[in-house]
Amino acid sequence: MSQTNRIKGGLVDNKKTIKFTFNGKILQGYEGDTLASALIANGIHFVGRSFKYHRPRGILTDGSEEPNAIMEIGSGAYKEPNTRATITKIYSGLEARSQNHKGSLNFDLLSINDFFSQFLSAGFYYKTFMWPKSFWEKFYEPAIRHSAGLGRLSTEPDPDTYDKGFIHCDILIIGAGATGISAAIKAAESGAKIVLCDEDFVMGGRLNSENNKINGIKGREWAKQNIAKLAKMDNVRLMSNTTVFGVYDHGIYGAIEDKSAESIVNKNKPRQVNWRIYTKRSILCSGATERVIAFANNDRPGIMMAGAVRTYINRFATTPGKKISIYTNNDDGWRTAKDLTDKGIEVVAVIDSRDIEPVIDIKNAKIFMATDVIDTKGRKLIKSIKLSNGEQINTDVLAVSGGWNPNLQLTCYHRGIPKWNEKLATFIPGDSIPKEMSIAGKAKGQMVLVESIIQGHKEGQKIASSLGFKTTNSEPANTDLVAYNIEVKWQVPSGKKRAWVDYQNDVTVKDIKLANQEGFKSVEHVKRYTTLGMATDQGKTANVLAIGIMADNMNKTIKETGTTIFRSPYNPVSIGAFAGRRRAMEFYPSRYTPSHKWSEEQNAVFLEVGMWYRSRWFVQLGETFWRDSVDREVKETRNSVGICDVTTLGKIDIKGKDVSEFLNKLYVNAFAKVPVGKTRYGLMLREDGMAMDDGTTARLSENHFIMTTTTANAVNVYRHMQFCHQCLWPNLDVHMISVTEQYAQYAVAGPNSRKLLQKIVDSEHDISNEGFPYMAAREISVCGGIPARLFRISFSGELAYEIAILTRYGDSLIRALMDAGKEFDAIPYGTEALGVMRIEKGHAAGPELNGQTSAYDLGMGGMVSGKKDFIGYKLGLREDLMKDDRMQMVGLKLVNPNDLIDPEIPSFAGANLVNLRDKPNTFTCQGWVSSSVYSPIFGYHIGLGFIKNGHNRKGENVRAVDLVRGKDIELEICSPHFYDPKGDLLRV
Amino acid sequence: MSNYILKKNSPLDGFEKKYQGVSVAEVVDKSLVMIAIPDARKSQIIKDIKKSCNLSIPEMNKSEKSSDSSITLWRLQKNQVFAYYDYQNHDAEESIAKKLATKDAYYTDQSDTWVIINISGKRSRDALERICPINLDTNIFTLGCVARTSMEHMATIIYKEDENSYLILVMRSFAQSMLHAIEVSIENIL
Repeated sequence: MSQTNRIKGGLVDNKKTIKFTFNGKILQGYEGDTLASALIANGIHFVGRSFKYHRPRGILTDGSEEPNAIMEIGSGAYKEPNTRATITKIYSGLEARSQNHKGSLNFDLLSINDFFSQFLSAGFYYKTFMWPKSFWEKFYEPAIRHSAGLGRLSTEPDPDTYDKGFIHCDILIIGAGATGISAAIKAAESGAKIVLCDEDFVMGGRLNSENNKINGIKGREWAKQNIAKLAKMDNVRLMSNTTVFGVYDHGIYGAIEDKSAESIVNKNKPRQVNWRIYTKRSILCSGATERVIAFANNDRPGIMMAGAVRTYINRFATTPGKKISIYTNNDDGWRTAKDLTDKGIEVVAVIDSRDIEPVIDIKNAKIFMATDVIDTKGRKLIKSIKLSNGEQINTDVLAVSGGWNPNLQLTCYHRGIPKWNEKLATFIPGDSIPKEMSIAGKAKGQMVLVESIIQGHKEGQKIASSLGFKTTNSEPANTDLVAYNIEVKWQVPSGKKRAWVDYQNDVTVKDIKLANQEGFKSVEHVKRYTTLGMATDQGKTANVLAIGIMADNMNKTIKETGTTIFRSPYNPVSIGAFAGRRRAMEFYPSRYTPSHKWSEEQNAVFLEVGMWYRSRWFVQLGETFWRDSVDREVKETRNSVGICDVTTLGKIDIKGKDVSEFLNKLYVNAFAKVPVGKTRYGLMLREDGMAMDDGTTARLSENHFIMTTTTANAVNVYRHMQFCHQCLWPNLDVHMISVTEQYAQYAVAGPNSRKLLQKIVDSEHDISNEGFPYMAAREISVCGGIPARLFRISFSGELAYEIAILTRYGDSLIRALMDAGKEFDAIPYGTEALGVMRIEKGHAAGPELNGQTSAYDLGMGGMVSGKKDFIGYKLGLREDLMKDDRMQMVGLKLVNPNDLIDPEIPSFAGANLVNLRDKPNTFTCQGWVSSSVYSPIFGYHIGLGFIKNGHNRKGENVRAVDLVRGKDIELEICSPHFYDPKGDLLRV
Repeated sequence: MSNYILKKNSPLDGFEKKYQGVSVAEVVDKSLVMIAIPDARKSQIIKDIKKSCNLSIPEMNKSEKSSDSSITLWRLQKNQVFAYYDYQNHDAEESIAKKLATKDAYYTDQSDTWVIINISGKRSRDALERICPINLDTNIFTLGCVARTSMEHMATIIYKEDENSYLILVMRSFAQSMLHAIEVSIENIL
């Protein structure tokens, strides 16, 4: 069997045959086919099973509204479920599989659900499975979960790539049908920058599906010519295969461009591009979607939308059947009958629910006016229909038209509410649409083609003109007037039989009635109770029909019944398209220090600190456990000299005549009289008196300071300073800029640090203890005249320096320092050793500056100046912040040094502190351990922590209880300054 | 005198690559200095710069070139301009102060703070469209325009130096990430 349903004509290229598979069977289609049209060409209607009842389902529509023909495409990691066959362009090698059946499509074991449908009505899961109680978790829930859901994910990482991008335009036109093209042509002539998007891979909208003539030529030819004309214009960007899925603030639209065709050929190319379109104005020309009529057994394969049947015969050159019937409540359904007869396809009957004269003369067809279809037969393909006059008609396709609903979803994304239009028997866009949006054509409720074209033309001109572009007067394209008349027909009484409203979620007329009977009166409640309008089609064919049925049930008008509104996305969007490139190592950018390359050569293990990669420790030969490296680095630094890259610390260059005054207002301690050539440690508070950040600031000259911040707070502090300068003290002559990256900075620490530096620093600079004492800062030169900055500051507690050099020399300097240090057995040390040494020395860092601690809590109350005002001063004096029982920072050491020898539990940080005889709970909690490490110098674990009235409890023993890790150990409260408490080593 | 000689390196080691219709190259022969202009001395600074290099302080997000094109001033903030100019030594602050012949401004060298990547060619805008939220329309972001923005979560400066040529500046530590972002963009559009 090969393309038995092909007919002549259409937009497919019958010279290009494409092979694909459906459920493993090899089939053929033509270039330009969708999967749905190719299946129909091969005589296949039965393509899936319904969600709940597992009823056979066929292709219903020709677009993104398709509820039935949703399939798994691809295999392995490339498998994608819930792909709509109606919008999937076929390609060579496409693998499609039907969904939602246990066993084969033909013999679905779960089709038994259909026979128990009376037990599976709306909300059945709220009412059943109540007994026996013990069955719920063990049986009912797993069974329901197993059956639930549409399609199955591959569970493997998505191998496709995705991208995103930014487009700016004057006018975004959504929809490239007759209206959109008409608007685009007119607007583009003005010179405005136009983006014209369409979700289809061929532009032209329904002109490709119909036989209208525009300006004397076929509509599809008119579309093609005008698209070609637009393509030649520099100010126009045509984007087929692009679905505008969201409307956001300030004229920003989200659009997904499907580039599958390209990515199938070249796997490295992105499959989809998520565009952010910035536009001044938009014109929504998204057309309309046809809806069904609810009658008994209206879901059989072979029952299709009447407009879709026209698409398949006119655009895809394939007939859905040989003996086709039409059931309609509007004039449009008759066009299907006409097009079919024009193509020589037998129209068995036209059934119109309206009591009017036949709209068109359809030869050889039975015409039934004021008649309804009341039932159908045929399990896997429709065989016959039964009419309200008792007649039974054999047919292999029933084309149904319940009227057309404007595609107004995008008008609702700013909380716009559609309004009911009695004449059109549908909702049209309301008044509260997005500010920059205009609407034209069917999307606005203009169902007559000639009027739609005029509307598009006028909107294009009006919008371009409103943006200041010059437009000329010209006539819109012309076409015959084809009237659209409709009489409401929501449902045909179906007795005990079921009539479907929402095909995808198996929601029937009875479900809606049941929901109404059970007290769900609001559309929103009914929607959620019945699952109406959910899943991939978002109820595009069902929502309006459901509201009509609700109104019937409650004996209300549609206006009284109300409507749901829509939220983005308009169509399903792959999660991958939202993630774009941001996967794995590209989740966020990486920052590398100047010594990174060298550190890699030295077997550094890296730590991510924000986006920075910092050396955590350096593994040397024979070291198998991280502590081996860290302990060695601490010991060797304290014994001789170690070098650490501290470039990541924030550096802010501050210049101006008023910098000292500015700093005095920022820091708790005095900065007004810092001498040139000196560094001062400073503590900065937030407005509420809590510690914000600490660091050192050096005065390099009268009007030039350099501030350091912690790595984590570099941006926050800079932002805080800019705020203070721009908003609080704008008149101060202060100018600042970040120089974090301008200088590579290395800490050189240990008793031999000076000797090492003397080999690097040019000899004219005296860096002896006398010439360059503790806290000195100076601009120097190194290695024969390269400018650098030297600071005698120490985080380790050793005699130490930090040397800063232009980053271009950073890599070279670390190599020079290490080479110069060979005679002292200099070693590089990482952030772990840095942390150990700072805790040994008792320096507060991130865990202590946690936003809840004041200067007094940190033991820095003595630094706080009472002679000046500064940020945080007033609120820092709050009564509660001065209380003795506040959590105050202390040192903590093990009473039994052998505790915590288990290397798997390297720290007791995070443990709660309780009194020796108390049971640990919220009420007895005395504080917590903020930092803890093994000290290779002392040979046991030490820590910093906060405990009530801690400054007055030194010498007292408490317990650190870690319920998570199951540890309960005794600690002694002590001074946080374990190592060289008097600071003698700093000054030698 | 120290026995050691320091070698300088650039963030991308002088990276250069040509694709069809678009080229990417690290700029390594320029200096960038931030010039802070105190309000009280602004008029004098303007006079000095005009006199020395026939340069005006540009409008916000615009640039001005000296008469010999060797210095370009970028305006990105109220009291600041960036001087982007031909210079490779490490005393950029002194050198630009001398060229502009004004002592009233404050100078801070930023040459090592940023990596400067030039993306040029007819398809440069197509590639940038994937990462740059700024409107690069040739009628909007015209020759000499300069702007701060964010690309791929990196604070970025973009400058249009020629009809189809842009400079992208990000903090030096981000150099590899930005280069990668640009290369992926190019590969995705070609």
